[in-house]
Formats: sequence, C-alpha cells, structure tokens
Amino acid sequence: MPPALDELVEELREADRQERIELLIDLANDLPPLPDRLSQYKDEAHRVPECQSPVFLFLERQGPHIHLFADVPPEAPTVRGFVCLLVRGLDGATVEDVLSVPNDLIQRTGMAEILGMQRTSGLSGVLQRLKAMVARTEAASTEQSQQK
Amino acid sequence: MADYAHPEVLVSADWVEQQRDNPKVRIVESDEDVLLYDMGHVPGAVKIDWQGDLQDQLIRDYIDAEKFADICSRSGIANDTTVVFYGDKSNWWACYAFWAFKLFGHDDCRIMNGGRKLWIDQKRPLSKDTPSYPRTNYTVKGSDPSKIRIFRDEVLAHLKAGKKLIDVRSPGEYTGELLHMPDYPQEGSLRAGHIPGAKSVPWSRAVNEDGTFKSVDELKGIFEQETGLNSSDEVVAYCRIGERSSLTWFVLTYLLGYPRVRNYDGSWTEWGNLVGVPIARGSE
Repeated sequence: MPPALDELVEELREADRQERIELLIDLANDLPPLPDRLSQYKDEAHRVPECQSPVFLFLERQGPHIHLFADVPPEAPTVRGFVCLLVRGLDGATVEDVLSVPNDLIQRTGMAEILGMQRTSGLSGVLQRLKAMVARTEAASTEQSQQK
Repeated sequence: MADYAHPEVLVSADWVEQQRDNPKVRIVESDEDVLLYDMGHVPGAVKIDWQGDLQDQLIRDYIDAEKFADICSRSGIANDTTVVFYGDKSNWWACYAFWAFKLFGHDDCRIMNGGRKLWIDQKRPLSKDTPSYPRTNYTVKGSDPSKIRIFRDEVLAHLKAGKKLIDVRSPGEYTGELLHMPDYPQEGSLRAGHIPGAKSVPWSRAVNEDGTFKSVDELKGIFEQETGLNSSDEVVAYCRIGERSSLTWFVLTYLLGYPRVRNYDGSWTEWGNLVGVPIARGSE
C-alpha cells in the first residue's frame, strides 16, 4: 500500500469507536471539491452504481501516476470520508499501487465495526469501481502505445 | 397534514421545536449514514441505529424483546413516551425504526415530516451534545407482528392468491436489468427481477423534493389511480432489505389509512436467492 494510504488506515485502525467516527467526519470535511474542468462530466459514466448515494469518481493519468477526483454529497458523510481516504491515500500512486490495494481495506480500517455489513458492501463497491477504472485506463494506454 | 387518514402520526418541525423539552416526548434520529448524528442533530435527540441497535448481528432478524427494552430504557423512553423519529434520505430509516417500534408494540410513534434535510434547510438549531436521560424501566408489551410483517412462505401464498404486491425499488432493479450489467454486484442476489404480479412504485414517488410527504390527493393518484390499489386490499410492500418499503408501508397505513399492509423485510435479498420460487423480469 502507498505510505499515505497506509498511514490513514493505521490511524483509523488504532482509534476507538468514537475517535473513528470523528476521524471519518474530518475526512468527509476534507474531500477536495471537484475541479471545474471535471464537474461538467458528472454523468452516469462516472457514477459508482454500487453506492446508494450519488458518488462520482474521476481519474487523470500523468505518465504512470494516477490522480483521483471525486464528488460525494455532504449528506452522505460516511461515503465522503471513505472516498477522501482513497483520494488522499492514493493520489499520485501508480496503476500497480491502486490495483494492489487490498480488497478488505474497509475491514482493515476498523470502519466495518461502526458500519455493519450492509453499509460496508456499498463502500467496497467504490473501491472495486476505482480498480476497474484504473485497469481500464491501463488497458487503453497499452493499446495506444501498441498503435504507435 | 389534516387530510391524512391518521394525521397525528406526522408532526412538523415546529411541533418538535415546541415539544423538545417535554419529558413525555423523545426525539430519535435514525439515519442511513452512521456519521450524521455526530455531525449535529436536533437538540435533545437520541440516536438509534437501524442496523447496530435494532438488528440482531447474528440472526437475520430483529433484536429480542429484552434488548429492545434495554435500548428504550437507556434512551429515556418509557412505555407512554411519544417517540418522534426523523432521519436522512427522506426518512427511510426513520420509517424503518418506526416500523420496528411497532413490531414491539410501542403505542405512540410519530414521524417528523421532512426529516433531517428539512430541519437543516430551515436553519433550525443543531447540537453536537449527546444528551442523557434518566433510565426508564421499559417493559415490552408485545403486539401481533404478523399484522405488519410477512415472511417468505406467506408471501408465496399471497402471490398465488393474486393479492397485491408493491415493489418499491428503482425501475432498473424491478425489471431485472441491473444485475445483468457488468460491474453491478450490488444486490447480493443470484436472480434479478421482481416478485410476479408486483407493481413497481419506487418509494421516492411518495415524497417531495424537500423530503416531506406528498398530499393525500397526490398519493391517491399514484397508489390508486395509477397502481389500482384500494383501501380494502391486502398489500405487501418489499424492496431490497425492507428499509425503503417501510416508508411505503408507513404511507399506505397512516397517510392513506389502509388497514392491511405488511412489510416483507426479507425482500429481494431473500426472494432473489430462494430455491423454487418464481420471479418475473421486465415491466409487467
């Protein structure tokens, strides 16, 4: 796991229940706003369908590095908090870094304890979707370089 | 709210502000998102989590009477307390908690119209203090849960008898297209579609943009003119796990006054996985 993500996961894991809630609220408040150039693309193609809340994810590549952007309504702070964890923990990471993020990330943070199984499955969907998007950009860039 | 069949169960945000220091009234926040209460709630409100508090973590069922009594006692809810529920997402989980309280036979339950969103939109006060109330000695009186809850075998009998079913999920979940698209593992069911004969009325059609419930005339237009229900029908509502359908159960029972409505809380996560039961796809 990239060190930034590792650090955030560790901080959550070591917290008690109430501290974990407060850390997640802080993360939810810290999600950077979507840059103007992306907000016009808030459409179904960028929406995470596994999540009940309207979550939009965007990727930009700079060479091997991935930059993440997201939009989640403030009414869904749990999802915002988790998405902010991914954005902060994975920004600038490589494709391999993102694909190797463990699928039980939520369990590792201890969040599953406060969230319960049903809520956790929605968040797992965000991570799965992110990985699928990253894998797709990788496939597209390989195709492009083969065509050259 | 006067035109509703049981207008007393729906209270306004003004009423809540006036009554919030009344020891006979307890305000309960019940949200889908578990962080919201800690970010600020109606002053004096206690939190009851639909999942962590009301559902048994091992059996797929509600907690037992003893645990329910303990939750009420610790929240300062006595048997004669007026319990007012409100929450996020147009009161889905507030209705779910309301329904669960009715399963245990609590008499006086109400919903704050507009829920958390309207309270905040109207810039009413929010508090981050967790209140504590003198412990009560709640005793579960019990009721007849079969009046408002239905299990899968009875649902099968209900459908064979041609009685009314309402599917309150999104149209894509109803027609079954969602599970067939790639990367859509959301349902946790092996089969997509709906219970044969069920009519599609997404839960959200019963609420306005601001989170309040639609008027009696609008609700009758949706459930009676469009869907063909009437108050003498036996109706079963379901969704994915029974949370959204508790809102529709609330609307039919209290706002339109249908006396025989039950919530199938096994819902699609159960039905879509059952061996030997029929399902239907497409729009009926």
